[in-house]
Amino acid sequence: MSSSQFELTDPPRDAISALKFAPNDANKLLVSSWDRNVYLYDTHDGESGRLTRTFEHPAPVLDVCFGQDDNEAFTAGLDWNVRRINLETGELEFLSSHTAGVKSVAYSSTTKLLISGSWDCTLHVHSLSDDRSAHTTCTVPLPSKPFSISMTPTKVVVAMANRAVYIYDLKSLALLCSHANSTDNTQNIVEIEPLQRRESAMKFMTRAIACMPNDSGWAASTIEGRIAVEWFDPSETSQARKYAFKCHRQTVDGVDVVYPVNALAFHPIHGTFVSGGGDGVVAVWDGVAKRRIRQYQRFPTSVAALAFSANGKYLAVAVSPGFEDGKEDPEGVVKVFIRELGESETKGKASK
Amino acid sequence: MGKKKRKFPSLEEILQRPWCYYCERDFGDLKILISHQKAKHFKCERCNRRLNTAGGLSVHMNQVHKEQLNSVENALANRQGLEVEIFGMEGIPDEVKAQHDARITQQYWEEQAARRATTGNPTPGGASGHTIKRKKAKIESKEEIEKRLETYLRQVEQGIPMSEIMEGIETAPETVPTPVAQQPFQAPQTSPPPFANHPFQAPFAPPFAQQQAPFQPPFPVPVQPFSGPPMAGAPFPPVPGFSPPGGQPFPPPFHTPTPPFAQGAPPPPRQGSGSAPALPQRPQFSAPPVNAAQFQQMHQGAAPSHTVTQGAVDELISSARQSAQAEEATQTASKPKKEKNTRMVYADNEISPEEKMAQLPKYQFTRGAREQQGSVLRSATGTVGAGATGVVRE
Repeated sequence: MSSSQFELTDPPRDAISALKFAPNDANKLLVSSWDRNVYLYDTHDGESGRLTRTFEHPAPVLDVCFGQDDNEAFTAGLDWNVRRINLETGELEFLSSHTAGVKSVAYSSTTKLLISGSWDCTLHVHSLSDDRSAHTTCTVPLPSKPFSISMTPTKVVVAMANRAVYIYDLKSLALLCSHANSTDNTQNIVEIEPLQRRESAMKFMTRAIACMPNDSGWAASTIEGRIAVEWFDPSETSQARKYAFKCHRQTVDGVDVVYPVNALAFHPIHGTFVSGGGDGVVAVWDGVAKRRIRQYQRFPTSVAALAFSANGKYLAVAVSPGFEDGKEDPEGVVKVFIRELGESETKGKASK
Repeated sequence: MGKKKRKFPSLEEILQRPWCYYCERDFGDLKILISHQKAKHFKCERCNRRLNTAGGLSVHMNQVHKEQLNSVENALANRQGLEVEIFGMEGIPDEVKAQHDARITQQYWEEQAARRATTGNPTPGGASGHTIKRKKAKIESKEEIEKRLETYLRQVEQGIPMSEIMEGIETAPETVPTPVAQQPFQAPQTSPPPFANHPFQAPFAPPFAQQQAPFQPPFPVPVQPFSGPPMAGAPFPPVPGFSPPGGQPFPPPFHTPTPPFAQGAPPPPRQGSGSAPALPQRPQFSAPPVNAAQFQQMHQGAAPSHTVTQGAVDELISSARQSAQAEEATQTASKPKKEKNTRMVYADNEISPEEKMAQLPKYQFTRGAREQQGSVLRSATGTVGAGATGVVRE
């Protein structure tokens, strides 16, 4: 392994919940943390990056995502609120309030929709048109708590408790949302039929979900060291292609220790994906060829989040202690690693 | 018969296969191993050039890409170091080699046992590896038995100490060792002579057959000073580590530690006295399963010549039984068995780790504070349209 990996300076003081690269600038990285801050880094300023700014929130931040451009971001908080951050001015704007902690946010630049998922078993769909007065928000009830949300240009996939996976069509969500007339989101409850209702291919709780960049399917991971790869196409041939495999396990004294797979991220260009587990291992997989491409040297603690830069050149790995090994109060190193990827490092093998 | 040989290679053949230091994979040919190492471990990730050694790759990275190689790619966690110069099979440290051999050997025996358990056959060529000297069941005629009982009773009457009696018994006619192959599936004897001296057991009889098989007591039944009341319905005492159907009249005398490969594996061949360092640890002879009476006997200084062998036999019986049971268990309920051997680091299937974490006092967000915050925010958004709250730090 070469030294093309470095540690970011000034990492968050507490566990990291999410990290995201900007949609354009491959050096702009947002990190959200349980220490109630969102951190903005310039990853290639100097030897080991620079902390550009922090945005303090009233409660731990559970997720962050970029908006329409590199200067807009959205956060999901444990204080039940969804906010917008103007990264230039540092202004925080309240968008909506759930009735429980907000676990995830995702923004679709094609439909200008922001979707937030909360433990109150709802999604909030924010239609964020350029005209601010025309913003509407509606609430989509879900059967269970959403744990992870991932988007493609046309769909949003929501992974929930009880192994439920719902796929919504973004366009129809946008249409419904634009017809909502009340500005109070509690009034706009939208009973929308999902495009597809799926049951997770795995027995245990879904931990993370990530969609393929080519809009053909997704990968989901569970707390029980397993990843499933599935396809949107409901045809039988496509469904027959879905599979699941075990990973992030270690045999210690004959006992198979199974770690949760906390993070998944697809490479925007090659279509391969990385998984990060509670064992501190990051592995690169080729979902189509069903091969592991490589596995990186173990990180000091559990991998909490992963992100590829938009140009696919960098991989950010957030390392923070989790609930592994029954620790009640997780403590330990919190770090962000940026890895510069070699040309063929995450490329699947060409089928010969 | 070449095909057969390929299917079950001997241990020597397996041990001779070249293997990769970095990932413990083995190969049919040294050439393939070398090309594997070049492709998997010594390939430059920048330009895909395949170098011959880790050192070579390090120099290449340094000179061509100005980068520092820190560890060997795709290697096992403890083998990533650059300190050892490996090329093919050359340069592997002796202790690592020994470890590998030990692992392979152990695996080999485990596989053998598994195969034996599934097929019920002695493995080709493997049977010769188990020439454990076995005692033939000594069959005494009724007169002989009566005579011995008489002698014993007389001795007791005369007040001869128990230890001496035992010694006398111990020197009773020695039995002839029989090779395993000669009586592998001997049918259970229907009327066992009650005072036969040595236990007998068909080597790999299925467990139920064992339960019916009449065990001869290790020594005459009356001479069981500490093994509880004489058994009414059972003509023979249970062999330690083996509970007879319908309760356990005798508590097991003491627990015998399970040897490392006792899980369904027969002990490796017991030829020669010392074990090679590469071989897996032998089963402990120090604590063979002996019952209370034998224990007593041993404490009185009469180390019986057959005790060790008997221990080995018992061990074999119990291990064969274990393997058969394991087999049964996997056949009937493979799922629960699987779960038994795994440990989930995070096992709560209802509450996500984040929710757990949110419940910690340090992250607790009080409702009152939230409402206040919310109302402030709401009013801000309501009036200005773009409420700016939250603190921004530089």
